[in-house]
Amino acid sequence: MNRRSRARLAVAALAAVAALAAGGAAGLVRAGLARQVPFVGWLAGPARPGELPVGAPGGTGPRRLRIAAIGVDSPLEALHLDHTGALQAPVEYAEAGWFADGTVPGDAGPAVIAGHIDSRLGRAVFYELSRLRAGDAVEVQRGDAWLRFVVTATGRYAKTAFPTHAVYGPTPDAQLRLITCGGTFDRAEGSYVDNFVVYATLARTTSGQG
Amino acid sequence: MNMRRLATAALALALPLAVAAPAHAREAAGGDGKGYVRLAHLSPDTPEVDVHLKALSGTMKEQVFRGVGYGVMSAYLALPVGGYEVGMAPSKPPGSPVILTTLVTVEPGGAYTVAGVGKYADLGLRVLRDDLSMPPGDQAKVRVIQASVQAPVLGVSLPDGQTIADNVAFATTTAYQTVRPGTFNLVIHPANGRSDTGVQADLAAGNVYSLLILDGAAGALKTELRTDATRDGVVPAGGVATGAGGLAGSGAWPLYGGAALLVLVAAGAAWGIRRRLKTL
Repeated sequence: MNRRSRARLAVAALAAVAALAAGGAAGLVRAGLARQVPFVGWLAGPARPGELPVGAPGGTGPRRLRIAAIGVDSPLEALHLDHTGALQAPVEYAEAGWFADGTVPGDAGPAVIAGHIDSRLGRAVFYELSRLRAGDAVEVQRGDAWLRFVVTATGRYAKTAFPTHAVYGPTPDAQLRLITCGGTFDRAEGSYVDNFVVYATLARTTSGQG
Repeated sequence: MNMRRLATAALALALPLAVAAPAHAREAAGGDGKGYVRLAHLSPDTPEVDVHLKALSGTMKEQVFRGVGYGVMSAYLALPVGGYEVGMAPSKPPGSPVILTTLVTVEPGGAYTVAGVGKYADLGLRVLRDDLSMPPGDQAKVRVIQASVQAPVLGVSLPDGQTIADNVAFATTTAYQTVRPGTFNLVIHPANGRSDTGVQADLAAGNVYSLLILDGAAGALKTELRTDATRDGVVPAGGVATGAGGLAGSGAWPLYGGAALLVLVAAGAAWGIRRRLKTL
């Protein structure tokens, strides 16, 4: 092979490698670096063995969350307050969690469910929460029954001006708030600057008792 | 294919990668668009009534609540913002026409009690403005709705003497009083010298209550503590840290930008090689 054809071959190879690298990098980002953060729809499954049941003794707390409009189907962790008095986030990026020291979903009052919008590597359970609109259904399993909440409003707020009264204030009826992050990501702080909140009201149970 | 085309093609591949960033969450609009209305019969000598609720906009089918007796207060109905007409008709004989109406305008997040008040001779419909907002601190909020004619003016206090309400006249409601949470024996003392009445009230932190005072049997007072709005547990401070930034725009840029750079470098190298080929 003469010099010219070898050079041509080198050029072709270089171009091919470049194209592959570009496509590969794009693919990696889109897949959220694959197996480490699977897309939530694939992760649904039973609780890990040895995991304590969420909610009050007797297992009357909520077990599972389903939001058909954005493909969420997740078990619910029990969330508590951290040492600063702020609500903890779920341990698993692919799972939502309910504020277990507050109103139980389905009881009168504001029940709260929080979930991550993303992990360090890709999407998390509430990645598409901001797509919810008034009228969308949010279902929570409690015991054998599925409670059906209907979205009434949404809002995005700076964390420095979090609407505590609107989110945690008393209500006459059974309501639900879904919370995730939004806005720009502050790299110095390592967190998003906003919270996105979805408000919903209990419509009816779809099956079983309660 | 000549080298210039290859370089152009490589550039064309790089540019979309450089400008295509992951979509940021769209800002969603807020707005509740609902309020709460409840209906009450607070006239001691008016027989049972049927209460009619109609939306002025005509978007809601007229609702009728039948056989509402003295002291009955419905649960709150969540209603879309707008104007409504509340009417009362005697339950008997059936088919009696509405004898009283009033209008209530529901504002976003507003709460209202529409009550038939006064003695039958001066029966009126009154719209009470309720406030279901969270009490300050970790306290409870309570107000008195006075619907007793036997004790037309009364006061309500806590055992330690703290006044909940003073000189409350029949067919009126008081402003909300903020109190520390706990179980209390509230004392109702009529101003006309009749004996006091005690009521045990469990007032939980963060909850809003209305204490309804009614005429009971044999000249006694009857009370009903209604929980207007409720919540459970401690209030978390601030928001929630629910995102690690993996899909934030600035996070993906280095990856996209790096890929674009790689392609540009490869294209440049290819072009450089071609140039060298030419000079051979």
